[in-house]
Amino acid sequence: MIAQAVLNEWYPVAMAAQVGAWPGRQTQLLGSDIAVFLDAGEIVVQRADGSALAVCLRYGHVWACLGTPAHDLFPIPEADQPGRRLVDCGVVRVKCSPLRAVENFLDIAHFPFVHTDVLGAEPHTEVGRYEVQIREDSDEVWATKVHFYQPQAAKSASGGIVTEYMYRVAAPTAAVLYKTCPNKPDAWDVIGIFVQPLTEELCEVWPWMALFDDATPQADLIQFQQMIFLQDRSILENQIPRLLPLDPGKEIPTQADMTSIAYRRWLKRKGLTYGAQMVAA
Amino acid sequence: MSGMWVANGLSQDLPLGVVMAGSWQGAELAIWRSATGRLSAWNDRCPHRGMRLSHGFVRGETLSCIYHGWTYGTDGACSKIPAHPAMVPPAAIKAEVYACVEADGVIWVAPAGTEVVLPDLSGLVAVRSVTVQADVAALTRGLPGFVQHGAVWRGQVEGAAVALVVQDRGASVTLHGLGAGDRVRLSRWLDGVRRLVEEGVLA
Repeated sequence: MIAQAVLNEWYPVAMAAQVGAWPGRQTQLLGSDIAVFLDAGEIVVQRADGSALAVCLRYGHVWACLGTPAHDLFPIPEADQPGRRLVDCGVVRVKCSPLRAVENFLDIAHFPFVHTDVLGAEPHTEVGRYEVQIREDSDEVWATKVHFYQPQAAKSASGGIVTEYMYRVAAPTAAVLYKTCPNKPDAWDVIGIFVQPLTEELCEVWPWMALFDDATPQADLIQFQQMIFLQDRSILENQIPRLLPLDPGKEIPTQADMTSIAYRRWLKRKGLTYGAQMVAA
Repeated sequence: MSGMWVANGLSQDLPLGVVMAGSWQGAELAIWRSATGRLSAWNDRCPHRGMRLSHGFVRGETLSCIYHGWTYGTDGACSKIPAHPAMVPPAAIKAEVYACVEADGVIWVAPAGTEVVLPDLSGLVAVRSVTVQADVAALTRGLPGFVQHGAVWRGQVEGAAVALVVQDRGASVTLHGLGAGDRVRLSRWLDGVRRLVEEGVLA
């Protein structure tokens, strides 16, 4: 039995440009079999019984809702900003809870150990105090004033810099980060992950980027992001349990995990428990 | 209490500064050897975010988690959290420690505090470990003439004494082989045992 709050959210189910005619993309959403296909020029998402789901197209992706959408899909204003390159980075299937995939995206402290010499490097491991809030107006989790030393912050970076980050949980399985842009100090690079929950322990993840970078070839940008995410996957598929524990006590956070703590609290408060473990086992 | 001790590999297969995955009944373990040779076996889970410690790295007398670098001493206590270099980690942050000893070239694990009572394998030389995709019950097919004493099956191969120490992993079994005779012959014979048992399972 899946909570109504979970069913009423939007989830990514395909890349819009890649949707073809029936049978299209045969996949799963929250454990239900669905098909994403083109019918008379329109993208349709339907269940195995033929009933159609609510659909919206945004950020190059197809988003679907199994219930009654509780609200519009979250905005990313930068997606429409002139001069930005939108880069979709393909899809990575990960055997983990969709919530663990999002939580890892919000985490800074792993950079020196998982993305060694790229997004972080010893001895620059300290995570300073940053600010976290659950914004009541937009109903989003935000972390701001996050600073971290990075040997190669982006494909376009040519040396170590202290990068500033902002993190934003915009939907239960979608998050966006804003980070110092190596080419344009007054702007932010915007990177998202859109996570499709196939089941509670299996997801497909689309990294997504909106960058100020005219120089780097598309293939290099995609390769860079794929490398980062494959490093993350080696972690995500080896956490025990697969489900994200929402009750305190099962895992021990520290001050560096304030974003993760807020994300877990926000999920629990909203009843968004698909992919979560509620009782300490 | 020797039934509490589970063989988890041969000493020769766990060099200094290396961590490997192990098991005790249903529990998954990280087993590692420090730079000076101290053996430890822990629950394969970092208390921070549940990452397998068997994917971690050994530096000196510590094991660190590969996810965030949380570092644990041989007593299991967390000694360093790299995100907060100036902080002394609270004593509550501790890996779940098992007892781990080695004797006659075999690494053994049991719950902490278990009295050390191990089978006598003296006079035999550790040769190799072989993992067989079968359950323990299927072993009798591949080991005719062998006699089982707890986790150890004893017999003869080409006139030389052989002992196989069984590590039951549920869906598979690892045999840790020791013998008094020629090592290469024993190694080849072990391959044959694996084939026999696995084919028996398929048939």
